[in-house]
Formats: sequence, C-alpha cells, structure tokens
Amino acid sequence: MREQRKKLSTIKNNPKSSLPSRAPSAVSLMNQWISMGSEVIRKILLKGGPIVAMLFLIIYLAFATPHFFAVSNFLNITRQSSINAILAIGQTMVIIGAGIDLSVGAVLALSASMSAVAVSYWGLNMAVGILLGLGTGALTGFITGVIITKGRIPDFVATLAMMTTARGLALILTQGLPVPSHFTALKLVGYLPAGLIWLGSGDILGVPVPALITVAITILGWMIMTRTTLGRAIYAVGGNREAARISGISFVRTKIITYTIMGLLAGVAGIVLTGRLNSANALMADGAELQSIAAVVIGGTNLFGGEGGVVGSVIGAFIMGILGNGLNLLNVSAFWQRVILGLIIISVVVFDQWRRRRFVL
Amino acid sequence: MPREPLLRLEAIDKSFPGVHALDHVDFDLYKGETHVLLGENGAGKSTLVKILSGSLPKDSGRIILRGKQVKITSPYHARSLGIGMVYQELSLIPSLSVAENIFLGRLPRRRFFFVDWPGIYKKAQQILKRLNLNIDSTVPVRHLGLAEQQLVEIAKVLSLNEQILLFDEPTSALSEEERQQLFKLVNELRERGFSIIYISHHLSEVPLVGQRVTVLRDGKKIATLPVNEADEDTIIQMMVGRELKEQFPKEETSPGKPILKVQGLEIKGALNHVDFTLHEGEIVGIFGLLGAGCTTLVRALFGLEKIDSGKIYINGRRVTISSPEKAIRLGLGYLTRDRKDGLIHPMSVVSNITLASLKGISQLGLLKHRKERRVGEKYVNELRIHPPDLTRKLMYLSGGNQQKVALSKWLCSGSKILIFDEPTRGIDVGTKAEIFQLFNQLTKEGVGILMISSELPEILAMADRIFAMRRGTVTAEYRRGETTQEKLLKSVS
Repeated sequence: MREQRKKLSTIKNNPKSSLPSRAPSAVSLMNQWISMGSEVIRKILLKGGPIVAMLFLIIYLAFATPHFFAVSNFLNITRQSSINAILAIGQTMVIIGAGIDLSVGAVLALSASMSAVAVSYWGLNMAVGILLGLGTGALTGFITGVIITKGRIPDFVATLAMMTTARGLALILTQGLPVPSHFTALKLVGYLPAGLIWLGSGDILGVPVPALITVAITILGWMIMTRTTLGRAIYAVGGNREAARISGISFVRTKIITYTIMGLLAGVAGIVLTGRLNSANALMADGAELQSIAAVVIGGTNLFGGEGGVVGSVIGAFIMGILGNGLNLLNVSAFWQRVILGLIIISVVVFDQWRRRRFVL
Repeated sequence: MPREPLLRLEAIDKSFPGVHALDHVDFDLYKGETHVLLGENGAGKSTLVKILSGSLPKDSGRIILRGKQVKITSPYHARSLGIGMVYQELSLIPSLSVAENIFLGRLPRRRFFFVDWPGIYKKAQQILKRLNLNIDSTVPVRHLGLAEQQLVEIAKVLSLNEQILLFDEPTSALSEEERQQLFKLVNELRERGFSIIYISHHLSEVPLVGQRVTVLRDGKKIATLPVNEADEDTIIQMMVGRELKEQFPKEETSPGKPILKVQGLEIKGALNHVDFTLHEGEIVGIFGLLGAGCTTLVRALFGLEKIDSGKIYINGRRVTISSPEKAIRLGLGYLTRDRKDGLIHPMSVVSNITLASLKGISQLGLLKHRKERRVGEKYVNELRIHPPDLTRKLMYLSGGNQQKVALSKWLCSGSKILIFDEPTRGIDVGTKAEIFQLFNQLTKEGVGILMISSELPEILAMADRIFAMRRGTVTAEYRRGETTQEKLLKSVS
C-alpha cells in the first residue's frame, strides 16, 4: 500500500525535483515574508512613485522652512497648481494615446481671451461668455484632431502649428492688449463679472474654487481612463495602433475625441486663470504646454504612449507646485528654480527606467 | 564518450515576480552537437537561453564555459564569449539594409570613421550565399517578407563566428520549404563544429536536427535523453505531465447554411479570381506556401486590403468591407499571422482579451469591470494562460502565452466568422488540443472558421474542407480525409 503510494507520487512529481518536500520551515517562511515584502515595495514603486516623492518633498520642506507647513500655504499651493493640473489631465490622455499637444498654452490663452472679450467688449452674459470660451477650446482641439487624423501628419507638427495659430488668433481678438485693462477702458462695457473672478480666486468653506474644479476634473478624467470604453480605446491606440485598428477600435474617432477633451480642458484652465489674474491676454500661460508635459512625465506616464494615468499627472503638477513654493520660501532665485526643475525631470525619468528594469523584467 | 562538455549550466535559478521561471536547472552542451530544448509555453525555455545570451541576469547558479566559470553580463559580452542568439521576435531594424543589419554594431571601418560600404555589401552577400539565400544585401529589411527576415536574422548571427548558437523557435514563421532549408543549414553548421541549442515546439523537427533532447516543465528540468529514445509520445507526456489523449480532437459537425461567400475576388498582383464558401459550423482550411496569397485573401476579407473586383456575401447579403471596424460589425474576427499586430503590449492580459468585445462588457460606454474579469478568467483557465494573472501586462508573458491571449480575444468576441492565420503558432502540444476543443465548441454553436495553417497534420485533421492556393489562385479543393500531405504539398508547389 505504502509502496504503491510512493510509486504514485514519483509519477506525479518528476524524479529530479521531488527533493525533500516543501514543508513550511522557518527559512521558507522567512523567504515568503521577504517575497511578500518585496511585492509590497514593488507595488509602491510601480504605482506610488510620485506620491512617495511628494511626501518626501513635503516632509523635507516642513523641516527646512518655517512657513511651509501652514494651511494657508497649502491652499496657496493648490490654487497655484490647479491650472497646471487641469492641463496635465488632458495632456495625460493625449500622451497615453501616443500623441503630444504643444498647443495647450496657446489654446488656453485663446479661450480665455474669447471669454473675456465676450463679457467685457461684447457685453454678453457671463454664462454665455464662459461657454463661448470652453467651446473655443473644444473646437480648437477638435480641429487639431481632424488635422492629425485626416491630414495624416504627426501630432507634434499639427499641434506646433496650432500653437502659433491660436496665439495669433488670440492676439487678433484682443488687439494685443490685456482684457479688460486701462488701455481698453474706452471700449469697456464693464469689468469682468464677479462670478468669473470667483472661479479663479474664490473659495468655498476655505477651499479654493480652482482646487475643487481640479478635484472634479481629476475624478472625471480617472473615470474616463479606467471605466469607459473611450479610455480603453485611448490606451489601445497608444499601445499599438495597428492592433487597436484590427480589434475594431477607430483611430480617427479616438484621436479626435482625445484632442477635443484636451482643448476643452485648456478652455477650463483659461477661464480659471482669467479669474485668478482678473484679466485675460493673448500671451498668458506662456510655456504652459511644457509645464503640463513635465507634470505628466513626473507622474509616471510613458511618453511613448500606452501606459500611465491621470492621477499621477495631477500629483506631478502638485510636486511642481510644492517645489516652486518651497524653493521660494528657501529664497532660491527663480532662475535656479528652472535649473532644479530640469534636474528633477531627468532624475524622475532615470528612476522610472530603473524601476521598470529592476522590478518587472 | 565521457569528455568535458563545452558548456555546462549548474542549478540555474530565476524568478520573476509571481513566477519561478527556472528552478535549479542543469544543462550541458557538447562540441558539435545540437541539443533541443522542449517544453510547454512558459516552461522556461526562452528564459534559459536569454540568460545564456546575456539579455537576462540569473538569480543563482553557475555557467561553466570551456571548463571555466563565466559571468555573462550582456548580449555583447555573450558574443565575445562566442555565444550567438537568433531571436524569436525579430530584432532587425526595418529601415536599414540587409547588410547593415547583418553587421549592425560592428560595421567594418576603413581609416578614420569611414564605413567600408563596398566591403560590407560584398561580405554580406557572401554570408547570404553561404545560406543559399537569394536576397540582395542592399535592400532595406522592411521590403522583405517575414520568413526572409528570419533568415537574415540567422545570417546576422552567423557572421559573428560564434561557436555556440542559440535558436529560439526559428521555424515558427517559415514555410515548409524554408524550414527544410534551415534544417540543412543547422546540420551543416553542426558538422562544421558549431554547438547548437535549439528551442522548438515542433516535435517532428527533433529527430531532424537534434542529437539530445532536454524537456522542461514549469521551470524544472524533467529529463535529458538521446534523440533515439525520445519518441513523440514519451516527449509529449514529459512536457504535459499527463497523458494526452488526442492531438487533434476533431468532432464531426453537419455544416449549415452558407455564412460567407466569396465570388471572383481579385487583387492585382496578389489574388486571382478566388471563389469559396464557408458554412455555419464548418472549418475551412487554406493551405499555401508563403506568398501564395492566403494572408492577402483573409486581410482583404477583413477590410485591410483594397479589393479590385469581386463580391462578398455574408448571410446571403452582399457587403463591402472597407475597414476592420466594419468587418467586426458584420461578425468577422481576425487573428493576425504576426501576433505583434494583434496585441497591445503595455496593456493587461484581461484588457487584451476583451479588446474586440468592449460592447459586450460595457453599457453606454461604461465598462463593467466585474463582467470583464469573469470573461478574462474563463479564457485564462480554459487555455491555461500562464501565469494566471489577469492584470499582468501582456509584454511580460512568454510568446506562446501571448498567442493564447490573441486567440482568446477572438474566441470571446462573439464573432460568427472567425479567420485564424496560423492559430497555433508558438503554442505547445497540450494547449493546441485544448484550442481545437474550443474550435469544436464554436462550430457546434454555428460559427464558421477559416483557418490558414502551414502545419500539415493540423490542417488535414481539423479542416472539413481544404483549399490549396498557389500564386493567388485556388488550385484544388479537398474534403476532409480526401487528401494526404504529399498530395496537398504537390497542389501548392
């Protein structure tokens, strides 16, 4: 009987590997814990990289500067980072879809100028003005998407062209002047309505309105990317365009919708910034496109598409905000701040490459 | 002959997160022999040769080369030790010429930095000639077919004068003729004193090329035995770990009404007046050598090639198929020949499986994650996708397991007409049988399957009807059991 069982077990296990059986010894238990521990570290490194970096930054600055760790300072940071965060959410979608949008700063300015001109020169109702601004952003994005897909030109080129076109249109619209301003006083029908200013500078129960808008858009963006077929399509197109096509996913539709959302978000950011600055002008948000791309990179999204997420980019935007704020408090000159940001982007990407190599393959 | 092996691996161990890919594997290789590595998908064959070729670090174990322990740190280092690898996934740069690819990274130079162009074209041509390849070394690689690319890949490694050659499924993209050519080449090389490690899924290849066989299963070495003791049944049992009842479990079905009918399909320079009909519950096999137009034909059906003339009917209704999107809407599904064209590498396994059936797992554009997971689990279990981790990114799966994911995508899409171009490419024997079982289930539900395959036993056993194609023309039609390997080969060449 016993012999028979023995025979069976040698048949089941192959002779070489049926070394002393796998009884749970102390060593193997420890190994198990170690592997469980490394699994946790892996998860943190895989998903939580940006959040860990942000926490370290906060802890460091809290000790290094007396004024950093104050509620008012944090509220200030969220207000400052909101614009970049909103743009970074759209930019993330574009980049995951293996595109890049260099026109976001210019589209922001065009949408903001449109709203400001509409309410202060044309005397339109505030809601109509805002809708006009958002519509301008979405339409610009839509056109970019059509140019890329129907004209079959690279995203980089199309959005570069859109960048200068949108700036030009904004300059034409505002005649190169801030809206409203002292120079344009003669034409003024009125100043910006209080509601518009509230969107950028107001708060609800002490929380800045721009921060609330950012939170809402983050949730929406996260929902789109993880819970909808559109999000899945964006990942698929960015991961392998040909395979997505063969799986029945329309490249054209996905691309156009992504850029339209990006344009719409640039419009939202434009209106919030107008509210905060109390005015719009054609040259506002200069370099915002690169800021938003930096936030996306810091947030861990792969610049070649197919991988990444919205939440990381929002954290990336906040890391940039905290850094700027902290360096100000540390009395680091604005010139050096740019250098430091550059170094941080490089180290983030180097770290990102390292963890990909080390922890997955 | 108790002599010292050229290469000895001792207790090689390698883990990936969640997978023990190699579990203390021993292996050796003598001078002038071909040692065949066999195993199911994910058994650790590719991992082992990747460690040898320096593209993966081992966790522990020793590598002893020519009596001395070595540490292989990079592919470059492996080459300098005389170990060359022919990759499973092609590693050529499409925009560069054949010659440039062959000499990539070590272009012969003249004085200063100037590349010796006439020299490299001449040398490349000599290497190609040695392989009996009729390829112009100045042509960019992207103008070559898949099989030619594979052969250039071999040429690339051969130019290095290595003593140890690693082949990772070199024949999976080749036609029968090219395969024979490759075997001849491998044997020639061995006679010249090369030592070869050869990974394969085709058991029939083993006696043609190898002297010894090692079988791996779940990262463990099961046995090493000389070829004359390694008959197919023994090997299969070792690979699968259980007895396999039938390799081709074809069940008889009675085909229903026609669902796909093609009349006079024509594409200039590729297809010549092709007619055929596919019925409900029927498997139609298409067999032809590379370049015969089989792939072009199915690509045209799926809206990927422009049709010059001809009519396509689905369920008796005339249709024009202008894009894959439209094809899918009409109930078609298409598994591409090159699996890279059909899969999204940075996406998870489950997202890849459901990619062509997003409508089924969503409502108003909102995904139902729980339903999606259920679908994913079903196929991961049925096709034994390894490791069984739905959220793992596809790129971290072995080649055969990726193929299973690609198949699952279409199996769950609910398509009524499934087109499979080499469905079992890179898939091991055990899983093949399970895939064919799924084919049976589908045909019972009334699905029609159009299958291109270069595996003669597979197409002869599974297809109800077989069309033979040559130069864009259907040259013969056979019912199941009406033809033999020889007859079929004759009608395509």
